[in-house]
Amino acid sequence: MAVVETRGLKKTFGDVKAVDGVDLTIDEGELLVILGPSGCGKTTLMRMIAGLERPTEGEVSIGGRDVTELPPRARQVAMVFQSYALYPHMTVFNNIAFPLRAQGGMPKLAIKEKVGWAASILGIEQLLERKPRQLSGGERQRVALGRALVREPQVLLLDEPLSNLDAKLRASARDELQRFQRQLGITTIFVTHDQIEAMGMGDRIAIMNKGKVRQIGTPHEIYHESGDTFVATFLGSPGMNLLEEHDYLLGFRPENFLPLEVGTTQDDLRKFSLHVTRVEHLGADRLIYGELADRAQDTEIVAKLPSAITTPVEVGARYDFGVQKQHLRFFDKTTGLRTNH
Amino acid sequence: MQEIAAIAAPIKIRSRRLEDRAGWLGTLFLLPAVVYILALVGVPFVIAIAFSVTDVTVGDTSLDFVGLDNFRRIMNVDTMPQFRRALQNSFLFTLVAQILILVGANILALILSQDFRGKWLARMLIMMPWATPASLGVIGWKWLLDSKFAPIDWVLVQLGLLGPDTLLGPGSHMNFLGREGLAMASVIMVQVWRLMPLAAVILLAGFSSIDQELLDQAEVDGASFWRIHFRIRLPLILPIMSIALLFSLISIFGDIVVVFGLTTGGPVYYTHVLPTWAYVLGIQAGALSQGAATALFLFPVLLAVAILVLRNARRTEVT
Repeated sequence: MAVVETRGLKKTFGDVKAVDGVDLTIDEGELLVILGPSGCGKTTLMRMIAGLERPTEGEVSIGGRDVTELPPRARQVAMVFQSYALYPHMTVFNNIAFPLRAQGGMPKLAIKEKVGWAASILGIEQLLERKPRQLSGGERQRVALGRALVREPQVLLLDEPLSNLDAKLRASARDELQRFQRQLGITTIFVTHDQIEAMGMGDRIAIMNKGKVRQIGTPHEIYHESGDTFVATFLGSPGMNLLEEHDYLLGFRPENFLPLEVGTTQDDLRKFSLHVTRVEHLGADRLIYGELADRAQDTEIVAKLPSAITTPVEVGARYDFGVQKQHLRFFDKTTGLRTNH
Repeated sequence: MQEIAAIAAPIKIRSRRLEDRAGWLGTLFLLPAVVYILALVGVPFVIAIAFSVTDVTVGDTSLDFVGLDNFRRIMNVDTMPQFRRALQNSFLFTLVAQILILVGANILALILSQDFRGKWLARMLIMMPWATPASLGVIGWKWLLDSKFAPIDWVLVQLGLLGPDTLLGPGSHMNFLGREGLAMASVIMVQVWRLMPLAAVILLAGFSSIDQELLDQAEVDGASFWRIHFRIRLPLILPIMSIALLFSLISIFGDIVVVFGLTTGGPVYYTHVLPTWAYVLGIQAGALSQGAATALFLFPVLLAVAILVLRNARRTEVT
């Protein structure tokens, strides 16, 4: 278990800055999620921490030791790839035993014991003699995890490990993964583009875009106190509404934008008149799309009403909506950074 | 009903054309291949078997059955030691060249799979020996290894390795093709030179078909370069590699050009292989029946290899 640190980490491919100066500190036993749209540099960042990619600039340290120049095998990191990268010609047992054998000098019996231990915490003892192609997606994921954990690495790197699972399995895999991580207390970096995964699993989340970390904080912090317009609009489904006002941008989340009659208090409300253009029924929620009446620009605004709110909303009609002032956020028009107004 | 019949009547239902009859068409398309195989492989093979049990010669073409006399005669070590030697050489040359090709092709393929400047040129140059007609390449080597004018001798002399008081002896000529061991080594070396490029390219294709994530995974799992090579890369391309192996095996075992061009079986008969000895015996000496009997010894090995190739072709999937 170790602290992982990156200082001024950069990676350029030709003219493309894949990772552009990342400073991160991941605490011992922490699960940090790196969240960002595809192409934001999150996988490259992780590959540099693993040692698969050489940084153009900057340093990586693990457990206080500078490992920037060290090959992967000298770093004591384990990694689970998106494809799971199970060795197709080996049985599950040999897959899990591979990292132990690679270390060299481990007696056969000890290897057997260790593989048994990893298999038992993942519940895959009965699969040990099978080949990867005989496994289901969920089983493959466990084997990949078992292979990563068997060495008891200092750091566990997970690159979108759940994206190949179907939705149902993903929820239980999320829960399981989090449990193992807590139980073993391994410092873990989890890369994903799925914000639900990120919000649900991360002790902290680092949001990346265009090679830079835009904000790092607990799921609550980054969602409710988004540091800039990118984070504010990237998080949430749909993202935050942004309105141009005077010399700043006004933001509020769709779920805080409700019909006036729903609100319990009329105090501290910022009122808007919404001309509804579209309604989407998503089961648990209703999304109301519309335009604000008193504005020149045709900014589309979204409201998200939980299905518990049954107020009828018709397309083409005009309704009074409001946001509690505590839910209003302000951003600088030019930099996009959060400001206080 | 009548109306319908009236309308339908003018539409003539044409008989099926040839291209609609899958059975006929298949036979037709296969025919050239079948004729080719029968005429150029099947018939000569049957003739070879027939010849091997008769007393046919170039001068007397009547086929008189003599049983296994020809086999007894060619295998008699006292009167005809060449056959035993050719048989041994065939296996020895094939085995040694094969091992060298596999090791060399692996190294070449690994180098060529890296990124470096001039990779394109390097790949092209490496393919040259294979692209060159074998006979031309062999003539080139014959000159390089010549007993008097060998450029290799000159280089060795310049390097101080050949000549009086040097490592390789007092003479200033190696006489590569005139000394038993060196001549055998020369034949093997030219076979390796000729066939390694193809094996390297086949292996290169195999290597580049491996999912990079597997190799990355192995690296993160702590494996060294050699462990990754022998535990991940090679097992994954084993089906492809065995194809490369079988191809070069056939090419060496059945080859007549290298030995004939380089040494003509000499010095004495020390570098003869089955195909060259069969040729010398059957064509040059005119003993067709004995030549056929000799050539038939190639058959079991080539048959086994062909079966392996076909079995392998069915399971060339990497994963």
